[in-house]
Amino acid sequence: MWFVRFLTSSIGKKLIMATSGLLLFLFLCTHVAGNATIFMSSKVFQGYANELHSHPLIVLTFSLGLLAVFLVHIVVGLYLFYQNRAVSNSRYAVCTRVVKNSFASETMPYTGLFLLAFLVVHIFGFTFSPKTVLISVTVKQLLSNFFYALFYILAFAALFIHLSHGFWSMLQTFGVNHPRYNILIARLTIIIPLFFFLVFAGVAFYFMTGLGASY
Amino acid sequence: MELNSRAPSGPLEKKWSNHRFSNKLVNPANRRKFSIIVVGTGLAGASASATLAEQGYQVKTFCIQDSPRRAHSIAAQGGINAAKNYQNDGDSIHRLFYDTIKGGDFRAREANVYRLAEVSNQIIDQCVAQGVPFAREYGGTLANRSFGGAQVSRTFYARGQTGQQLLLGAYGALSRQIHSGRVKMYTRREMMDVVVVDGRARGITVRNVMTGEIESHVADVVILATGGYGNVYFLSTNAMASNVTAAWRAHKRGAGFANPSFVQIHPTCIPVHGDYQSKLTLMSESLRNDGRVWVPKTKGDTRKPADIPESDRDYYLENKYPSFGNLVPRDVASRNAKEQCDYGKGVGTTGLAVYLDFADAIKRDGRDTIYKKYGNLFQMYEKITDSDPMVEPMMIYPAVHYTMGGLWVDYDLMTTIPGLFAIGECNFSDHGANRLGASALMQGLADGYFIIATSIAHYLGTHKLEKISEHADPFIDSKRWVDDRISKMLKNSVGGSAGKFTVDEIHKELGRLMWDNCGMARNKAGLEAALEELPKIRKKFWDSVYLPGTNKEINQSLERAGRVADFLEFGEIMIRDALAREESCGCHLREESQTEENEAKRDDVNFSHVSVWEHAGNEKAPVMHKEPLVFEYVTPSQRSYK
Amino acid sequence: MSSINLTLKIWRQPNSDALGAFETYLLDGIHTDMSFLEMLDVLNEKLTKEGRDPVAFDHDCREGICGMCGAVVNGVAHGPEKEVTLCQLHMRHFQSGDILVIEPFRSRAYPIKKDLLVDRSALDRIIQAGGYVSVNTGGTPDGNSLPIPSQQAELAMDAAACIGCGACVASCPNGAAMLFTSAKISQLALLPQGQVERKTRALAMVAQMDEEGFGNCTNARECEAVCPKGISIRNIARMNKEFLRAVLAEG
Repeated sequence: MWFVRFLTSSIGKKLIMATSGLLLFLFLCTHVAGNATIFMSSKVFQGYANELHSHPLIVLTFSLGLLAVFLVHIVVGLYLFYQNRAVSNSRYAVCTRVVKNSFASETMPYTGLFLLAFLVVHIFGFTFSPKTVLISVTVKQLLSNFFYALFYILAFAALFIHLSHGFWSMLQTFGVNHPRYNILIARLTIIIPLFFFLVFAGVAFYFMTGLGASY
Repeated sequence: MELNSRAPSGPLEKKWSNHRFSNKLVNPANRRKFSIIVVGTGLAGASASATLAEQGYQVKTFCIQDSPRRAHSIAAQGGINAAKNYQNDGDSIHRLFYDTIKGGDFRAREANVYRLAEVSNQIIDQCVAQGVPFAREYGGTLANRSFGGAQVSRTFYARGQTGQQLLLGAYGALSRQIHSGRVKMYTRREMMDVVVVDGRARGITVRNVMTGEIESHVADVVILATGGYGNVYFLSTNAMASNVTAAWRAHKRGAGFANPSFVQIHPTCIPVHGDYQSKLTLMSESLRNDGRVWVPKTKGDTRKPADIPESDRDYYLENKYPSFGNLVPRDVASRNAKEQCDYGKGVGTTGLAVYLDFADAIKRDGRDTIYKKYGNLFQMYEKITDSDPMVEPMMIYPAVHYTMGGLWVDYDLMTTIPGLFAIGECNFSDHGANRLGASALMQGLADGYFIIATSIAHYLGTHKLEKISEHADPFIDSKRWVDDRISKMLKNSVGGSAGKFTVDEIHKELGRLMWDNCGMARNKAGLEAALEELPKIRKKFWDSVYLPGTNKEINQSLERAGRVADFLEFGEIMIRDALAREESCGCHLREESQTEENEAKRDDVNFSHVSVWEHAGNEKAPVMHKEPLVFEYVTPSQRSYK
Repeated sequence: MSSINLTLKIWRQPNSDALGAFETYLLDGIHTDMSFLEMLDVLNEKLTKEGRDPVAFDHDCREGICGMCGAVVNGVAHGPEKEVTLCQLHMRHFQSGDILVIEPFRSRAYPIKKDLLVDRSALDRIIQAGGYVSVNTGGTPDGNSLPIPSQQAELAMDAAACIGCGACVASCPNGAAMLFTSAKISQLALLPQGQVERKTRALAMVAQMDEEGFGNCTNARECEAVCPKGISIRNIARMNKEFLRAVLAEG
């Protein structure tokens, strides 16, 4: 079966990582837009949340889809991690990386796993939070906790690192590599993750430092 | 030894097609019943293997490296000639034929050279179809350049890596046949012997250099494509593994060796800089298009080149050859460089170099233009020597580059052993006494793609060959002989290395002897002295070479020792050949044969022949035979570049 | 001309089955104009003179084009200089007193045969799977019947410059052969001659690459950084695209 062959080939797995990565990236774009409303006022934010949850079918479909994408990204990623470790484990007595700034690419599996841990905490904190409490209240409650917020900020830092390799890597895997656009891509690979970091971590920072005490 | 060239009769333009028609064929359905051994995977070997396998023969191909793609054809930089006349500058098959035969100083067979020029066009078509990325004009047509002083632009090229790209094309074709199972590829095998059964070549004995195992391989036909023997000089531009062993063993089994003293010395190489040096690096000849060659006027002038004023410089090529100047042919440029250094005017720490100066070209055309043209060569030079040719003049010196001599072959490329063919640089070839730039690639591919298959079909079609097993006596004998020789080489190593010599030490000694006495310029006294000296080095080798390790493992010292042992024997026919050829021709100057202006003087009355050497047995002087060269279509003329 | 003194730690392994280990050698008076391989020659002459086994290493043309030589020097394939093979790396790039750790190219697909000498035949098998245009000798159209834009030919040449040394695999954290494979796929995909078999070639070569046990690509870019011919990972991007197109159409 061609699809199985595709899935088991090295480039196939890469393409799956890139495709699921792209979908997750798009999800992050919507999520960051939603979160940005927090900075406007609790009313706007609550309004956005209410509007979203007034379409349960859409939310459910998207949630399930997202779960599937996450699972694929995680499972294939871990499988690749395991496969590559088998090939590369301490091959050389002296191991030198020639590429500068290779930290992000070297730590992809670790930042990824850290994000997974974050995800669990995040979902339990927000998605399965008691329905009786307004979401805007939950946000304030949880993130006012210093360590909880710090954990969030660390996770967003990990996301930044993960994406600072992942975004470029995704495009490369899709075959987007052209001298004319490579500088642009290199810039976007920093700017986009930085933007995510500022908005996401900004929320945590906002509540953690007490700036949002009157929210 | 009978030397029948089998050159077809009839008009020059018809010879090849007549010959193809009169040659016998093998029915396509029958071809799979025949097996062919090809030794070597350079341009000639890879293209021949692929072509024969495509036609349906069972091919076994052998190479010494870990992959067929590593053969030394890969290092050719400049390009490949063809008589396409794409540039509309007056080229034609006849002109390429004439240039080649004249460039070879009228020491090649007319019929062969014409055929080479004829098939040159097909080679380009073939390579383009394979996806060789030749340089293109902006309109998408193939680009050409003029090369090695040719009056027309007929050289096709792929940056400075033409040999690489052509070889990868042939390697691709070979790989395709390996994949289909029609070629069985044996890598890391060194050929040790040709097995001759009832007067016909029926197989080879090889050593697996990974395991030391000696293997026999049987076939109906054996093709040698094992390259040249430039490494007899120790230092040359050849790859480290290039050797004479295969050709030499064939010679000892009865194949005539033609013109062994015809060696081409390339004028623009990076000079030797120390005793540890393992090889010489060629810089493309195109540098002479813009560089000016000079040395200081006075002996022993050790000033820096920038400090030597114009009035103290001797632009000896421009002064001596006003019409060709720095673009004189390779042999003239090489010889003059050596001459200047022999006068003591050489430059650099060793005094064995001349300047190649781009200062005037930079002044005339600007830095950017010159850098654009030669930037990659300048970088390569700077990488090796740590000096920037944009600032300081380059230093160059001649180095051994190509060997025109080789196994004697008839028009069908068959040696004097029936069933044993030689193609590419390995045969004595179509280049006469001197090869033109960008013609080696052409000849290798012509032999492999377009000529050898016809010869093989004719041979198989005209001879009845008995089935034979690799356990037959001649194979067992050959194996035993190879084993004995290796044991003999290893025997000195018992008892440690004290007081013994390494292979390289002896090889260097041989190299110096050959370079000093049998190099660009030779004379009777020097050659006779070398002939005296050579057996002493040979004795030293067999009495006291030290080889670490055993025969049953990877043993690179042992591999080298085997090759040096053959060079030591081979050197003798080189010297004898140089001694017998009392004329200056092509690449070499016989000092006794000069014009009044100290230029090379050819002697067509006495030496218009190919000298072919026959092995008469160990410890016996070899016998020389002559194949007279008859010129029906060209009139030999003395070259003049004044 | 100056000279330097070095400490070499070289991987010695008598054969594929044996366990290897590092051995340390002191080498004095190395001329800085020597190439790295000439330095190893000097070591080998010295070892031979002492009656010890010289270090086995692959090498041939010694001008950086045959792709036969290669070792990992202080963790970097082909040593610290950019865009050179080991034979074109000169000793002037080292300082007296340096300790050089010299290891063979390591990969699951490259069995070590002896010391620094490895078996890279897996790369040949990738090419055999489809790295060519299937034309027989003879009967090809005139070379100029197929115009190819100069830029396109140059791009193809950029990819075709690969010398098959295998340093890309040796330096890849995952031991992937993507750069090698993509260079050939790219070259032929860029040229009109390669169009007929474009899809089958991409599928066959990638399948063979996977079968040989090379690793996966994680876009670490180490291959590009050590490639002696400066082959760009743009070729890998192109191969990914080629593979995707091929697999969707006829995989």
